[in-house]
Amino acid sequence: MSLQTVTPGDLDARIEQTAQGIVLFHKELCPHCKNMEKVLAKFGAKNPDVELLAVDSEADPAVMEAYGVERVPSLVIVRGGRAVYTRTGLMNPKELTTLYHSV
Amino acid sequence: METRQVDVLILGGGVAGMTAAVYAARAGLRVTLLEENACGGLVNWTRVVENMPSYISIPGMELADRMAEQVAALGVDVEEAACIEEISLAAGDKTVVADDVRYEARAVIAATGRRPVLLDCAGDCCQVHYCAICDGSAYKGRHVLVVGGGNSGFDEALALLDTGVARVTLIEAQDRFFAAAAAQRALAAREGAVMYTSTRVTQLHGTDALESVTLTRADGSEQQLPCDGIFVFMGQEPSTQLFRGQLELDAQGYIVTDGLMATSVPGVFAAGDVRPKRYRQITTALSDGTVAALEAERYIRRTAG
Repeated sequence: MSLQTVTPGDLDARIEQTAQGIVLFHKELCPHCKNMEKVLAKFGAKNPDVELLAVDSEADPAVMEAYGVERVPSLVIVRGGRAVYTRTGLMNPKELTTLYHSV
Repeated sequence: METRQVDVLILGGGVAGMTAAVYAARAGLRVTLLEENACGGLVNWTRVVENMPSYISIPGMELADRMAEQVAALGVDVEEAACIEEISLAAGDKTVVADDVRYEARAVIAATGRRPVLLDCAGDCCQVHYCAICDGSAYKGRHVLVVGGGNSGFDEALALLDTGVARVTLIEAQDRFFAAAAAQRALAAREGAVMYTSTRVTQLHGTDALESVTLTRADGSEQQLPCDGIFVFMGQEPSTQLFRGQLELDAQGYIVTDGLMATSVPGVFAAGDVRPKRYRQITTALSDGTVAALEAERYIRRTAG
């Protein structure tokens, strides 16, 4: 599944509808965020049932606060319509796979 | 394990690597490019590029994306977020294993560029950062230390203040700053900015998080500076760990080449910032990538059995 952009205002509702997914908090000019998008693309190719969502944290900084995110890139793992885990920083596809399946 | 045979395997998707890919693909060769992050290299970290002939001004990321688009349009197999697990470079055998795929190449171009110099005394401190846009927003209203008196240090210090950081202390180990004069003036004019030369950070202090640092001057005197975070812009070092024991490296770790990008192994070329050179610019990387690809093509045709 490819990365889908979600507006900050729609994020809560979108998460509630997501059985299993990952939300990427990013900024447009953040180089690590660009790297993380490639990592998620690779992860998504091997895990097609996992929804991949991206939200621009600069569009509404309050969304970062709402999800306890201070820095980007940050990933929020979603299970059963709820945010269950947050991780900040860059990781490679293998590290992401290990993390996702350990949560 | 899957095996893929390619004519030219390019390691590194920065400007040099992507340029090499363009030339090699246009020569009719089968080209694969492996990049551990996103294509673009250091250009992705450059907010605005104003010295690339044909663009008066262009965001670095946009320039990188345009190059990547051209590479893809030429049918180059590009693997981003690639994890290289093994590498073996010899005249008759050039093999790279990445993401459980074994690549057998007739020629290899090493274009792995450079990476930030890390702060020695950082340890595992979580408040040491190398990217202001990534991590700066966590320090709104707080005090940060910026280490590095070059263009990056000054530009990122200004960006941090724009983000809402209350105070920035910028330090440089040498006895002068190296940033453009305009950037130095801009930072000096900002409320909340303090700058010191001949100063290093030698110790970090704090229990659960960073609370202060020890600054040591060239004369040996010390100052304890309360601060909440550190942003490091101390320059770059070559990304050549992969090639140790395989290619000749100079004392600083750069890949030694001749004037035509040839390394110590026949059929292996190096291009871009990973080579020892005086001027590391986008345009010099373009040149290196071009020559490396043309020489790789020549090598392949000469050694075709």
